[in-house]
Amino acid sequence: MKKFWALFFFFWPAVAIVVSWIAPDRSWWFPSEAMSPLGERIDGLFYLILGIVTFAFVGTQIALGWALWKSAAADEGEKAEFTHGNHNLEVIWTFVPAFILVFIALYQMDVWMEFRVQSQFPKEARESMAVAEVTARQFEWRIRYAAPRKALQNEPERDDLYAVNELHVPSGRPVKFNLRSGDVQHAFFAPELRVKQDAVPGLIIPVWFEIPIPGEYELLCAELCGWGHYKMRATIVAETEEVFQQYLKDLEQQQNFDGTATEEESDE
Amino acid sequence: MLVQMNRISLTLLAGAVLTLAGCSDAGNSSFVYGPTTLALFREAQYGTRDAPGVRDLLDERFGDPQQLRAWSKLPIDAGGIFGSVAVTPGDSGPVTKLQLEFEQPLNAFSDSEESRYLQFVTGEAAKADSGPLRAILIGWDSRDGTAHLQSKLEIIPAAGDRVIVDGGIRLQRGRVLYQRHCSHCHGTSGDGAGPTAEYLFPRPRDYRRGIFKFTLAQAQMKASRSDLKRILRNGIPGTYMPSFVPMLDEDELDDIVEYIRFLAMRGEFEFLLGGELAADFSSKVMRNRMSRKGDEEGEKKEDIVAEFTEGIGDAVEFVGDRIADEWTQADTEEAMIVPSVPRIPDSLQSRRLGRELFVGKSFGCSDCHGISGRGDGPQTTIFEKIPRTDVYFEEPGLHDEWGNVNQPRDLTRGIYRGGRRPIDLFARIHGGIKGTRMPSFGKEGHENIWHLVNYVLSIPFENEPGRSAAVESK
Repeated sequence: MKKFWALFFFFWPAVAIVVSWIAPDRSWWFPSEAMSPLGERIDGLFYLILGIVTFAFVGTQIALGWALWKSAAADEGEKAEFTHGNHNLEVIWTFVPAFILVFIALYQMDVWMEFRVQSQFPKEARESMAVAEVTARQFEWRIRYAAPRKALQNEPERDDLYAVNELHVPSGRPVKFNLRSGDVQHAFFAPELRVKQDAVPGLIIPVWFEIPIPGEYELLCAELCGWGHYKMRATIVAETEEVFQQYLKDLEQQQNFDGTATEEESDE
Repeated sequence: MLVQMNRISLTLLAGAVLTLAGCSDAGNSSFVYGPTTLALFREAQYGTRDAPGVRDLLDERFGDPQQLRAWSKLPIDAGGIFGSVAVTPGDSGPVTKLQLEFEQPLNAFSDSEESRYLQFVTGEAAKADSGPLRAILIGWDSRDGTAHLQSKLEIIPAAGDRVIVDGGIRLQRGRVLYQRHCSHCHGTSGDGAGPTAEYLFPRPRDYRRGIFKFTLAQAQMKASRSDLKRILRNGIPGTYMPSFVPMLDEDELDDIVEYIRFLAMRGEFEFLLGGELAADFSSKVMRNRMSRKGDEEGEKKEDIVAEFTEGIGDAVEFVGDRIADEWTQADTEEAMIVPSVPRIPDSLQSRRLGRELFVGKSFGCSDCHGISGRGDGPQTTIFEKIPRTDVYFEEPGLHDEWGNVNQPRDLTRGIYRGGRRPIDLFARIHGGIKGTRMPSFGKEGHENIWHLVNYVLSIPFENEPGRSAAVESK
C-alpha cells in the first residue's frame, strides 16, 4: 500500500508535465505566436523562464518521488534516520536559485529597456513623430491623428482627425503613439503584439510597437476600470504606408462631410 | 402580429445573468408602467368589463421581455422571413406538409433540431380564436418548396395565405443584446433607470418619450434608424455612452436599434395615451368630478367609466396612428436635414459673421452658451417652471424634457456629443437638440448656419472670446 501512495503522488506531477507538453500543439492555453519582433523577444524570455522552471520542477519532483519510493520500499524494521540538516545543501539551494534570479533580471534588461525606456526605443520610433494619440476612457478608446502630412501635437489642433475604437498604424516599421487616459487608470493591451502599458490620468505615455504583417489585431483594456471594463475592446489595423495615408485622407473627408455630397450615410 | 420566443433559452440566459449578479430573484424581467399610467384611476389602468385599461393595452401590444409582441400598426421590423402558401393542401388526410414560397431565401434544413416557427399572417388560419395559427417547421426543402411540419394543422390554409418563419427574430435577438449591453443603464423598459444609472451624469436616456437628442432629422422629428446606429457606433463623447464597435457587428447593431425603437414606441404609446386620458380620467380628476360642487351633484362613477369605455378605442387609434406616422416619417429622406448650400469654407470673414450671429439677436446663442461660449450665459441661472405646472424646479438652470438640469454645452472644450462633422453641427443648429432647450434655427438661413458652424468650430482655439474671428491662430 505504501508503494501505491508513492506512485500515486508521483503520477500527478507526471500528468502535469505531459499535459503541459502537449498543450501548445493543441492550442489549449498557450499564447499564440507573437506578431511583433519585440513580442518574439519577449516570448524568448518567456520560454527561457519556462525552461528553467520546467527543469527545476522535473528535478524536484523526481527527487521527491525517489524519496517517497525509497522510504516505501524500505524494510519495515529499518529505523528512521534523524538529521539536523546539511549546511552544504542549504548553501547550494540558496545560491543556485539566487544566481538564476539575478541572471534572469540582468538578461531581460535590454528587452525591458527597449520597450519602456524612451532613450532605448528603436531609432525609428525615437525619432519619428507619434502617429496617433490614444485616449482610454470608460469604456472605449478614442483616437486622435494629426491631419495628413502634419505632426501630432499634445494639444488638439484645428484639423486633427478623430476615430473611436479603431487604431490604424503603418506596418513594417516601429511606430510610436501617445497613450493617455480621460478618466481612470486603464491598460493598453494588445495580446498578439505582447504590448501592455497602463494609461495613467495626467500622463502622456509614449508607447511603440512594430507590426510586420498588415492585418487586424485585438486591443483590450487590461486594468479593471469600472463596470464596463469588458466592453473596452478595439481593433488595431496595421496597413502599408500608402493604405494608412489613404485611411487618413478618407477619415479627413468623412470628418469634413457637410451633408451635401452624395456620400451614403452608412459609409461613416 | 404575435411574436413568440423560445422561453427556455431566455430563462436559461436570465438565470445565468442573475446568478452572476448574485441575485436570487426569479429570472423574469418585466416592463414597468410609467407615471402617466399610474396616475390614472383604477378602471382606466386595469380596464372595465367592456374595455381594456392602459395596462392591458400595453401588454397586448408589446408583451413583456419574455414574450415580446410587436403591434403591426407600428413601423417595427420585428424580423423573420415572409412567404406565402403556394398550393392549397388537398383534403385527403391530415396536413403535415405545405408548399411554400418565400420572399427571401430560407436555407434548406431537415434536422428537427433546427426546427423553426412558422406563423400564418393572413387567411383563415391567422384568424383563429386562440390567436394566429402557429406550427413548428421541422424541415424545409428549398428545391421543391416543401415544408415539413411537426404536427398536423388544425386549420387548412389556402394558397396565397401569408406566412412568416422566425417571426420576431430580430426583436428577440435585439432584446438579448439589449439586456446584456444596454439595460444596466437604460433599464429593461428603456426608462433610463437601470442599476448603474444613478451613478451617471448626464443620466442615460429615457426612451419612453420617443425623443432622441442627436439626430440628423428636422426639428421635432423622431430619430431615424441610421441616427440610432450612428450613436451606437460612435458613442456620445462627453457622456458615459461608449462606442459598441467592434464589440457588436452590423447585424447586432441593427437588432439593438430595432429593439430600442420598439421600447421607444412602447413608452411613447403609454405616455401619449396617458396624456390623452389624464385630463378626464386621472385619479385626481376623478375625485374632483365625483365630489359635490355647491348645489350640483358630483358625477356618477358609472358615467365616468362609461365615458372611458366609449372613448378609449378612439384614443388608442389616434395615438397609434400618430406614433406610426412620426416614426415612419423619420426614416424618409425628407426628414433628414440637408443643407441647401455646401459648407461655406472656413475663413476669418466667415467666422466673424458667425461670431456676430453668435452674440446677435436672431440666434441669441450667447444667451445660453455665454459670450465666450463656455456655456455660462445668463439663461443658465434662471429658475424654470416644471412643464405643464406652475411649480418651479428646485435647481436653477435649463432643464430638458426629462426634468434633468441640462446646461448648455461648453463650446471651448471641443467635445461635440452629437458628432464633430460640419453636418453634425449644422444639424444641431438647424434642428435643435430634441428634448432640450436648444431650439431649432432652421428658418435662419443655411448660409448663416454655416458661418455659425465655422465660428463654433474655432471657439476651442480662441484665447479670448471672439479672438479667432480676428486672428488666425496657428
